[in-house]
Formats: sequence, C-alpha cells, structure tokens
Amino acid sequence: MAILAFITMPVFAQNQAPAQQNQEPDQEQHQQQNQGLEQPLQADASQPVKIPTALQWVQRLSNSLKILNFDTSFVVVRNNRAEPYRWLHGVDAGKEMEIITLLNGPRKESIRIENVVSYFESDNQPYSVIGPSISGPIPGALWGSLEKLQQTYDFIGVGKSRILGRPAQLIRLESKDKQRFGYWLWLDIQSGLLLKSAIISRDGELLEQVQFTHLSITEQSHDILKQLHSADLPKPVEKSEAKSDFSWAVNWLPQGFELQNANRNRLSNINENVESLLYNDGLVNVSVYVSRSEDAGRAPSVTQTGATVLLSQLRDGYEINVVGKIPANTALTIADSINFN
Amino acid sequence: MIENKFEAVSELLDGHDIDAELIEDIKQDDKLCDSWSRYHLIGDVMRGETADFIDLDLSDEIASAIAAEPTLLVPQPTPSIKERVQAKVVKLVRPVGQFAIAASAAGLMILGVQQGNVVQDEGQIQPTQVFQPLPLGGVADPVSYNYSAQSIPNQKQSMIDHQQRLQAILQDHKKQIKLNNTINLENQTDASVEQDEVNQ
Repeated sequence: MAILAFITMPVFAQNQAPAQQNQEPDQEQHQQQNQGLEQPLQADASQPVKIPTALQWVQRLSNSLKILNFDTSFVVVRNNRAEPYRWLHGVDAGKEMEIITLLNGPRKESIRIENVVSYFESDNQPYSVIGPSISGPIPGALWGSLEKLQQTYDFIGVGKSRILGRPAQLIRLESKDKQRFGYWLWLDIQSGLLLKSAIISRDGELLEQVQFTHLSITEQSHDILKQLHSADLPKPVEKSEAKSDFSWAVNWLPQGFELQNANRNRLSNINENVESLLYNDGLVNVSVYVSRSEDAGRAPSVTQTGATVLLSQLRDGYEINVVGKIPANTALTIADSINFN
Repeated sequence: MIENKFEAVSELLDGHDIDAELIEDIKQDDKLCDSWSRYHLIGDVMRGETADFIDLDLSDEIASAIAAEPTLLVPQPTPSIKERVQAKVVKLVRPVGQFAIAASAAGLMILGVQQGNVVQDEGQIQPTQVFQPLPLGGVADPVSYNYSAQSIPNQKQSMIDHQQRLQAILQDHKKQIKLNNTINLENQTDASVEQDEVNQ
C-alpha cells in the first residue's frame, strides 16, 4: 500500500488544481499520521513540488466543499435501495450557499446559507438551525476541523482509481480502535471534491455508499442558488437547554465521543416520553434513548439499515435503545454500561 | 349573384357551360362545393344509384384518417457509416439531457420552499411539531398493557408497536443530529486561521 502511494503521489503533484494552492502542506504537524508517506515527504521537503498526505487530501476536500461552485448528483445506496439526490453549492455575493434535495418520494430539501441550515421535510414544519453544514447523506465532519477526527481515526492514502470518469484518490479513514466503521473517500484529483464514499465494516463488508453520478464545476454559482438571496427561510430555532437530571447514566463510550445534547421529549409517532443523549466523535453520531417500559421478556434485538444500527434492550423496567452508525457490538457495550440510580 | 352561381353549378352539373373561371369559383366557395355534391347526390338518388347508406362526410373522414396515420410509412434509409459514428457520439453526450430534467426538478424545489414558508407561522417554528394526528388516550390503548394475556394477536400487535417505536427512535435520532449539528462551528474559525498561517 505504501509503495503504491509512493508511486502515484508524484503524478498527482503535477496535476494540482488551483484549489490545492490554498493548502500548502503542513508537514511538521501531519507527518506522523501517514506512516506510509514519511519517506517521500522528507525527501521532497526542500523541493517545490510537495506530495500531499492523506490528511491534506481531506483538508483540501473540506476547502473545496466551501469555495467551489458545483452542481452534482449522487445516489445513496444501502440495503439494495438507492436514493437519488441533487446537490448545488456555490459562493455568491460573498455568501456560501447550498441545497441538497432528495429526488424520489416525499419531498426532502435542505438549504444552507452561511451558518443557517433550513430543513424542509414532508412530515415536519420547516425549520432552521445554526450549523456549519447540512446534516444529511454527506458526513458533516468533512466541512470542519479535522483535529478531533485525528484523535480517533487514521488517515490513509491508498491509491488511485477511476470514479465518475475522473481520476480519483482513495483516502481511508480507519478507526484507531475496533469500535467504529471505516470511511472510504474517493476524491477528485482535479478539484478535490468527493466522488464516492463508502462505510466499510471491520470485516471489510460494504455497508453503505454514496456514489456521485454527475459533477460540474463552474465559474459562477448556479442560478437557483442566486435565488436563495431573496428566499424567505424560517428563523433559526434556539438550541434547547441540555438536561442533566436523568436518573441514568452512560458509563462507557468509545474514545473520542463527546456529549452533544441531552434531551427529554415525546416521540410524536408513538406518543411516548423518552430521555436521550446524543454523542459525536467528529464523524459519527450515537444516540442513547431510555424510557419506562411495560414490556416483559423480550430478547435484546439489533436491527441494521445500511450502516445504522439500532439496538433495543429491556432492563429493570426500562427500554434502552442505542442508535448510530457503529458496529452492533459497540452499541451493545454502550447499552450494558448504562446504570440506573 | 349567389343565386346565379348556384344555377351555374346546376348547369355545370348538366354539362352545359364549362367555364374555367366558374370552376375556380366553385372550388373556392365551400357553399358552392356543398351544392355541387348535393346536386350530384340528388341526381344519384333520383336515378336510384345510391348505396344502402349515404355517408355525406366520407371524404372528410378519409382526409382526417390520413392525417392521423403514423408518418413512418416510408422505410428509413439505412444510415451510412458516418451517420453511425455520429449516433454514437450523441449517445455519449446524452447525459446532458438528463441534467436538464434534474434542473427542472430543482426549479420545482424552489417552489416547494416558498410554499413551505406560507404555511409556517413566523417566529413560532417548533421543530418538534408533527402534522401526523395522534390517537388520544382511551381510543387506542397500547396493547402491550395486556401483554400478560399472551394471546397471539396481542403478540403480533406488540411486535408492530415495537417496530413503530424503533422507527420513531430512528427518526428522532436523525432530527437530534440536525438540531445539534454544531460540532465544527466553533472550530471552524480555528481551521481558517490555520489555513491562513499555512498560506503565508
């Protein structure tokens, strides 16, 4: 693998796109993350052509996702089901804007203007939140700082392949422990944008993938985005106060998961009160739900859709649910670590 | 004048006076054409030469039937090699057409956004609000309360309830992610500073 990277990297260097120029390699800091590339990096340190590391590739992706005007379509494939989306992004009049829309079935649209993300769904009132990225099929982590991700994932440059008719660089984000799935990203060598992504289990099984089906990068942002300047979007909701007076606690989570929110609400579809905690490790979200249950003697169950695992367990008159894109064993360990006061 | 023309038609029918100008006039005037065919019909009836039924608009029907006929009656000339090459090129370029379809879909999308705003009450957005009507207490008590009865339908109902519950949790999980997607917000400025430093 290291040899392959060694051979292909210099080829890339000649094809560097303008976007990459904003991101000169930052070697002191990132050398350690890319064991396979240490040798060529040091050898080229004094030369003008620098070889990007896997981390720099992802940084470049993050940058390209913010500055480029692009119009793209992609398909999310999980459990033999494919969901087509269209994604427009652009910077117009100094404002960064994007739209992601589901093209099949009930209407689902997400719009982001700078830090305001608005969601339009068929079964909900439209609402806006303050956030750096649209929460959807593309992991939000790719927009932000990768500092946190580096604590839990190794960034590995693997090699080149052809995706969407374009030369692409494969970057693997592999969990440092065995508690998480791996993320594979195929990045456009020319623009740095995402061409394909996949979530791969520890056994190498493909669980979920996002395949781009069309990509055009333009000088100007798309007309539809320009119309967003005058769009009347919902006002952002205030983030609710985190609750902390739960009678239960989660005592174990894989390293790197931090509490995002604690919430007590009523699940509208089933009319039931639940308490929940939301955790995030920079890439993956995990929720833990606890509620009183009258059910008796149901065996623990795990259901999985794509990479999303949903565990259900009964204990001491409570139902515990752990949900997120994590392996079933991790979900089970989290559920087992919960204790009640 | 018109009376004269009708007479002229009658005369023409009888083969008296064949005037090129008159024939031209008859062809131009629908009424005269009609009289021409009517006079013929009258003549036919009087002579007993009509068929069992009389279809006055037969010619019209034929004309419209021809118009409705698919035009692909003539066999297409087989494409030359050059044309075949062009056809292949067109096939490769075709995805551009698909893009146009997607573009119109996006146009619809903006409409959806605007309509969505009409419904929404300004300043009162509650992401937890859901349109789906809920069964009120007493109407649809969860069967799981009677779980001890252990009857088969109850077990089935219990399973359905459980599935619904899992579905609700999955939906809530997704919503909570959306509401709390602020992970990188505070870090983002750091990242851009870092970027600037790198550029210098």
